[in-house]
Amino acid sequence: MAKTRNAPDSRFAGVGRLWREAGPTTRLSVGTLLVLAIGLIGLTPKSVFGTELTWPYAALVAAFGWGRSGLAFRPMIILVIVGFAQDVSAYAPLGCFGFINLTTFGLSALVHRSFDRERSPVITTLSPIVIYAIGFAQVWLFASFNSNHIVQIAPIMQTFVITYILHIIIAPVFDLGRRASPIPGSRA
Amino acid sequence: MARMRGKRLKGRPLRRYALFVALAGLFGILLLQTSPRLRSMIDPARTVAADQLASSARPGLWDRITGTSAREARIRELEAEVRELTRYRQVAISMAARLEAYEDMLNIMGEPPVRGVTARITSETNGPFREAILVNAGAMQGVEEGAYAENEGGLVGRVVQLGERSARVLLVTDFNSRVPVMGEASGMRAILYGDRDDLGSLTDLPEKGDFILGERVLTSGEGGIFPRGIVVGEVVRRGGDQRVIFSMNRAPGGFVRLMPSMKIPRPEDFPVEEPADETETAASDETESGASNPGAP
Repeated sequence: MAKTRNAPDSRFAGVGRLWREAGPTTRLSVGTLLVLAIGLIGLTPKSVFGTELTWPYAALVAAFGWGRSGLAFRPMIILVIVGFAQDVSAYAPLGCFGFINLTTFGLSALVHRSFDRERSPVITTLSPIVIYAIGFAQVWLFASFNSNHIVQIAPIMQTFVITYILHIIIAPVFDLGRRASPIPGSRA
Repeated sequence: MARMRGKRLKGRPLRRYALFVALAGLFGILLLQTSPRLRSMIDPARTVAADQLASSARPGLWDRITGTSAREARIRELEAEVRELTRYRQVAISMAARLEAYEDMLNIMGEPPVRGVTARITSETNGPFREAILVNAGAMQGVEEGAYAENEGGLVGRVVQLGERSARVLLVTDFNSRVPVMGEASGMRAILYGDRDDLGSLTDLPEKGDFILGERVLTSGEGGIFPRGIVVGEVVRRGGDQRVIFSMNRAPGGFVRLMPSMKIPRPEDFPVEEPADETETAASDETESGASNPGAP
């Protein structure tokens, strides 16, 4: 009976163990594939009962997640490349989304190195909201400058909410396993 | 503690610089694109990339799996074809109108409208005496005496017996049939009749010239039974002689179309009747002119 009840746990435990043992390269590759998959699906027309679905910016979630592990070259390169693809697909000026992704990445690294070494729940909850808000504010600014008029905020807000929901679901995948160590002398 | 913290911060200056350099570079690219000249250089490449990556016209994965993309491609293809044909239709209508206008100006007698009756072959007679078919259309259906029959392949024969509800058609493959024919390319004239081996034989050939092997044989229109230009067969060589393969055998369907013969009435059938008073006037004019000018021939 106990064995039957524990069976699903053991299945997930295997996956968890594999993920824990995976190095940063593997985690980065898995995260990149996930971003690409979500982005490619996002390129297809998506509508339910005639309503166009809002699609999240997976690259922003990846930038935030990878930034938590500190600055690194490979995530930066990937984010710039994905940013160019986003520019092309969204008809944004070239470099726009690369800039936004890198800013999010840098802000995430800065916040977590400065304030979140202990991974406190408050910071963990609030920091993505603040950082995504800055990212989407940049999207709004670039879009407004590019089109020479102030663009609508509502669609950007919808994307912001959807991106945050996506963050809640898949943020662990973008954890590279490296962790900024607690400041010496602190309690953690 | 502060020293250790500073050491850690200095541990990754290269990455921090790289981040700032990358951000500055991307921002520089953004600023460069504010120049219309640079933007015009980048835009074609962007357009091509966007077409390949994010065009809404490109089918999605689900569309490819379900076959929707193939159906949509076919629909687009057919729509393009319809557009093309619509253009030709307009041209055809315009040309028909012009042709009609030219014919009116030149006072050309056009071809009479084609009237025909499609009939089912109810029985065939392929005995040693006569090769004929019986069709289920007769005088009541508008079949006329002397009508000829054709199918998708070409000439089948002519009506030799006409009933109220049926007609008997003598096939061109019959030995007794005589069809005036001509070569499509050579223009040679001859009389074609059916022979025992399902091939046609040519007789009354001109002394000079010959049919070209492989050319189509058409009705020449002589004799007034068959109109000119109906396909009868193709010239082949068998045993040193030129023979004709009947094209009606290529489409052995159960139907024939009975067409009225294109008989053009002879002038003596409908002579022009001159009014009597005009004749008299002309005669009196001749008399008067002869009297006033006796030296004229």
